[in-house]
Amino acid sequence: MSSKPGGCPFQASRRDLLKGLGLAAGGGLAAGFTQDHAFAAETPSHRHVTDAPVGDGDFDQRQPYLGIHQAGIVTPRPSCGMIAAFDVLAPQPEDLERLLRKLTERIAFLTQGGRTPELDPKLPPSDSGILGPEVKPDNLTITVSLGASFFDDRPWLAPLKPRKLVRMTRFPNDALDRSICHGDITLQLCANTQDTTIHALRDIVKTMSDQMVLRWKQEGNVPAIQPSADGTVQSARNFLGFRDGSANPDSEDHGLMKRIVWVGADNREPNWATGGTYQAVRIIRNFVERWDRTPLGEQERIFGRVKTTGAPLGGGESEFDVPDYAQDPDGGITPLDAHIRLANPRTPGSEENLILRRPFNYSNGVTKSGQLDQGLLFICYQADLEKGFIAVQRRLDGEPLEEYLKPVGGGYFYTLPGIIDKNDYLGSQLVQAIAENASMRSSNQE
Amino acid sequence: MHMRHLFAAGALAVLLAGPAQAAGEPSLDLVEPIADYKIYVSEKLQKLVADTTAFTDAVKAGDIDKAKALFAPTRMSYEAIEPIAELFSDLDASIDSRADDYEQGEKDPAFPGFHRIEYGLWEQNSTEGLAPIADKLLADVKDLDKRIADLTLPPETVVGGAAVLMEEVAATKISGEEDRYSHTDLWDFKGNFDGSRKIFDLMRPLIEEKEGEFVTKVSGNFDTVETTLAKYKAGDGYETYDKLSEDDRKVLAAAVNTLAEDLSTLRGKLGLD
Repeated sequence: MSSKPGGCPFQASRRDLLKGLGLAAGGGLAAGFTQDHAFAAETPSHRHVTDAPVGDGDFDQRQPYLGIHQAGIVTPRPSCGMIAAFDVLAPQPEDLERLLRKLTERIAFLTQGGRTPELDPKLPPSDSGILGPEVKPDNLTITVSLGASFFDDRPWLAPLKPRKLVRMTRFPNDALDRSICHGDITLQLCANTQDTTIHALRDIVKTMSDQMVLRWKQEGNVPAIQPSADGTVQSARNFLGFRDGSANPDSEDHGLMKRIVWVGADNREPNWATGGTYQAVRIIRNFVERWDRTPLGEQERIFGRVKTTGAPLGGGESEFDVPDYAQDPDGGITPLDAHIRLANPRTPGSEENLILRRPFNYSNGVTKSGQLDQGLLFICYQADLEKGFIAVQRRLDGEPLEEYLKPVGGGYFYTLPGIIDKNDYLGSQLVQAIAENASMRSSNQE
Repeated sequence: MHMRHLFAAGALAVLLAGPAQAAGEPSLDLVEPIADYKIYVSEKLQKLVADTTAFTDAVKAGDIDKAKALFAPTRMSYEAIEPIAELFSDLDASIDSRADDYEQGEKDPAFPGFHRIEYGLWEQNSTEGLAPIADKLLADVKDLDKRIADLTLPPETVVGGAAVLMEEVAATKISGEEDRYSHTDLWDFKGNFDGSRKIFDLMRPLIEEKEGEFVTKVSGNFDTVETTLAKYKAGDGYETYDKLSEDDRKVLAAAVNTLAEDLSTLRGKLGLD
């Protein structure tokens, strides 16, 4: 809220100031203060330190929760993201159906918004209340994915496991901490404000405690970016100070997304999986103190981009310029082991390995050594996990950037197809496939 | 039944009779289950005093093996009535606090009670220096017994205790951090669950008719816990916590969280504020 000195707004602001200080009732003090009002007039804000910040976000912004794909994948990232991984209790197919239906009901309410039910005050309230009695959608998406353990631990599910879904295994530079790896289910929660993702998580934890046991979570943020004068929006920077997402495929290009992200007939996955995608999550710690002590030229050679503009080292003005590696076969301009060149060599065939990245920066606290525990909550989606993330990461193994990175957590998951309409529920295709398998087996036995 | 129980029940009747009751207000029906619960608490306390005497005697006699054997069973009576014992926060701290509660951890001279002795027995395999801690523990337990005997149990504390016991397990026990030196956590779990179920069972007749579905769900979760714990029975007690399988830990965690969630409504369902 901006209030310029003079004019009507000031009248209101002075009144508010006095009221706020409890001085509006008058008396000598108030009179004395009024004489001093030049001071108040010059202060750009007349608000109290404890007043809530006035948001410029749009709390009514709403993402659809119905569709052939889940929301939160090609949806532009809002500021706040979180991955929460759970273990699941669903010994029988009917338990799985109950869980998925209930989860659908919570997702519908939380992402679309509405009033929370009022209960007898002698009972615990139905909702944590952290968003008030009216839950605003705040751009919330909840994206549900299943881990390999979810299928492996249940004999009636194992035959339906997506073909490429495996438990994440260690890459050479990883130091995986099992307490922040894997899980039966992940929820990716994204919203304009952190309170909304936290509210959604607390709702799920409270309402689904009988079937979902929280295993780990990691939150992250993306800084908001002002569009440039020409209307283009640059990518946000990661905690190493470089723009992250420059070469990401265009998520509005439906044909491209169909090829890179969405599982379809070509992927030879189980039928139920059509419309889903593979999710790779990596919690990648950055050694930021050491990075900040690295010469700028070296930082840029490690990434392959100019730090300020994001342009490729070969020239150009911005991150949107495309590097021409064909003119630089020996890496004299962009070193052959530069991060962006290994990740996407732009050689014939390497378009097979494109992935849709959707990362968030995280800042957790301080390590035992007194260093900042910061990094990247890396999330990406692809129709083929092997050709996507795993192939890209294998090319990156041994890159110079590794000296400044330590992947410590995450996992691989299969993101369920979307909820088609209001009568549908999340994962109904899978539940139906389980039933069909069971009836086939029983008819085979007859 | 001792005289003091009759007295407590009488005091409660006066307390509850109060002004005219609106619908959903606590009813006189609570008098009997609360009086029964007081008997339960009293029996647990008698056992706690007797068991603690034997335990601390073994510690002071330097009999490490005997002291180790008595540690877990002695604690069970305390764990079963923890929400009542916690009404006296000074005693709960001196009987059952953990090393984390002290700045210097295990080395902190202020670290007292069961867990300090547990540390000596299992980590140091010694009773050296434990005699004064044992004396203090026994004195505290006796003091607790006396203070609770003189106490009129507030109905909302009793009823709320069912959920409090589950909150304790959910917040700081499911991780196996309670008995971190002896790994006898499953004994404590059993005490906590028994204490919680006792309260639920006493209140059950009052809500069975109106809240059939709730009663079935809660009993189902208690049954799940009992079946799961029963898999780990060994002799008169339980296996060490590290034997608990990852799958069973998940089952227990979900049951505990759901019991905490459901039992948190028990007070309200009985019209208590």
